[in-house]
Amino acid sequence: MSRRIRVVTALTIVLGVLLLTAASVRGQAFWAKDTPKLPMATTWVAQKAKLPRYTPPRTPDGVPDLQGNWSGAGGDNNSFLEDHEYVDVTTPAQESFVSDPPDGKVPYTPWALAKRNEFLAGLARGWPGETGQRLHLSPGSFCLDGLPVFSFDPQEIIQRPGSVIMLSDDTYRIIPTDGRPAISQNAKFWFGNSRGRWDGDTLVVEVTSLNGKGWFDSTGHFYSENTRMVERWRLADTNTMDYELTIEDPTIYTRPWKINFPKRRAGTGPTGGPRGVTAASILPPLATKDPYASESWERACFEGNTESMRGMHSLGFKWFYGVTPPK
Amino acid sequence: MRRGFTGLIVGVAALCMLTSPPAVGQTPAPAPYTPPRTRDGHPDLQGVWQALNTAAWDLEDHAASLGVPAGLGVVQGGAIPYQPSALARKRENFAKRGTLDPERKCYLPSVPRITYMPHPFQIVQQADKVSVLYEYLNTVRYIHMNGNPHPEGPIDWFMGDSRGRWEGNTLVVDVIHFNDQTWFDRAGNFHSEALHVVERYTRTGPDHMLYEATIEDPKVFTRPWTISMPLYRRQERNVELLEYKCHAYLLEQEWDKPGFTLTEPH
Repeated sequence: MSRRIRVVTALTIVLGVLLLTAASVRGQAFWAKDTPKLPMATTWVAQKAKLPRYTPPRTPDGVPDLQGNWSGAGGDNNSFLEDHEYVDVTTPAQESFVSDPPDGKVPYTPWALAKRNEFLAGLARGWPGETGQRLHLSPGSFCLDGLPVFSFDPQEIIQRPGSVIMLSDDTYRIIPTDGRPAISQNAKFWFGNSRGRWDGDTLVVEVTSLNGKGWFDSTGHFYSENTRMVERWRLADTNTMDYELTIEDPTIYTRPWKINFPKRRAGTGPTGGPRGVTAASILPPLATKDPYASESWERACFEGNTESMRGMHSLGFKWFYGVTPPK
Repeated sequence: MRRGFTGLIVGVAALCMLTSPPAVGQTPAPAPYTPPRTRDGHPDLQGVWQALNTAAWDLEDHAASLGVPAGLGVVQGGAIPYQPSALARKRENFAKRGTLDPERKCYLPSVPRITYMPHPFQIVQQADKVSVLYEYLNTVRYIHMNGNPHPEGPIDWFMGDSRGRWEGNTLVVDVIHFNDQTWFDRAGNFHSEALHVVERYTRTGPDHMLYEATIEDPKVFTRPWTISMPLYRRQERNVELLEYKCHAYLLEQEWDKPGFTLTEPH
């Protein structure tokens, strides 16, 4: 977590369109064109297969202790879910987040694939195949992250008897682990409704009641209000969290599919995100002289970006209301 | 130096409490209660809490109107001590509250307003911070307990910068670095960027907590003043913070309407 002082930015419309994505409102690196392709699911799956079995420490109430500050997925900041080549300084070449199917592609139904291509074509991000029509923007552009983007981003995990609490710099998740049932599926939320349980060394979180208005990335990979997600949080070693997400929705996907990547304990390893390399995570935390370095400071994302949102509206971008899959 | 100043304000507030009896119906002085302790040895304030009063509509005594329940004020001594010009602005705010209230813009509502919005919040304590997780806007407020002083300003945060300390069984939170874009309630009670809030959270029983906030703003008020109210632990076995993503609903409702605009900051 870096220190931030909120500045009321008067982003130009062009800057807003280029940069105001879920990724860019957080701090991010700039990438040279010759940066080697960043590792994600494929590399991580191969790496973790070679790791010795790790037994996590336990909390006083006897469950695995996952507490601490965890980095985000790193790399292109959830810009593009699937394998891609270099696009621009914010979007280096990167492997797919998708670990299953093995080809790294989201297994959309034909209807959903057409929808996804429609979203991609209407972006204003410089992706191959864009029409130049500025039609579609990620919900993150409106400071509206839901799941699973929250989990892809950095967070602190705190455990209390009967619940796991996750804190980011501006919001939170509270995951009951006390066995209570999920709420009605008629009530839908950006974050859905989370229910956790411990399966051996793994925190398993079932997420239902999703409103289907969020994206997986900022370039149109979507889910629906019928989607059910299951997260698996497990320590692969002291400083590496193995995060695996299973996504099920027969109305838009032909089969369940998985996302898998590591999250690094903050302050260990090289700066700028974990990018899959667990061996480096045994490095000691980086020293800093800034006494405020570990504090989260106000981001006021919406309050500071209403000007850009007005600009996006005037350019004709559409609001994403979620999809309505055919019956 | 800032600490000393805070002490002065708390002292003045305490003196006010001693010299003027509290208005009828206001929160009684906390009965002696020994709260359970966290592992760090501090009073345990954790859990899901909610105010149960009409402060969100108006901090002062007020009559009912359409959709607004009548209510008794939470201001010690009854009235907010406005400077004359500020009182005129407050009356104008009230007259135009339908469009001017920052709540309608879905902005972060500042402290103490967020405490008595009609939504629950959850307190989570750690050694270096007390985190307050609000259902309203699903925002989180970090009260830093790490010994760092307020960072150097000027900083114009909506929620201010919160630094906490323990005084006996009370969590005392000093909050500065606000902007002037938030109000105290839906009745137009307002402040400037010079706002300084000292909050006090004191457990008074297994399921009750006394919340006090002393408000100082030399640009708007003639003297510091204090609000006081009980907070109640939510009793439902299945209580759970849900979602209130205000600006999501606002944008979705307005985006496709002719004449779309997001309210300009005033």
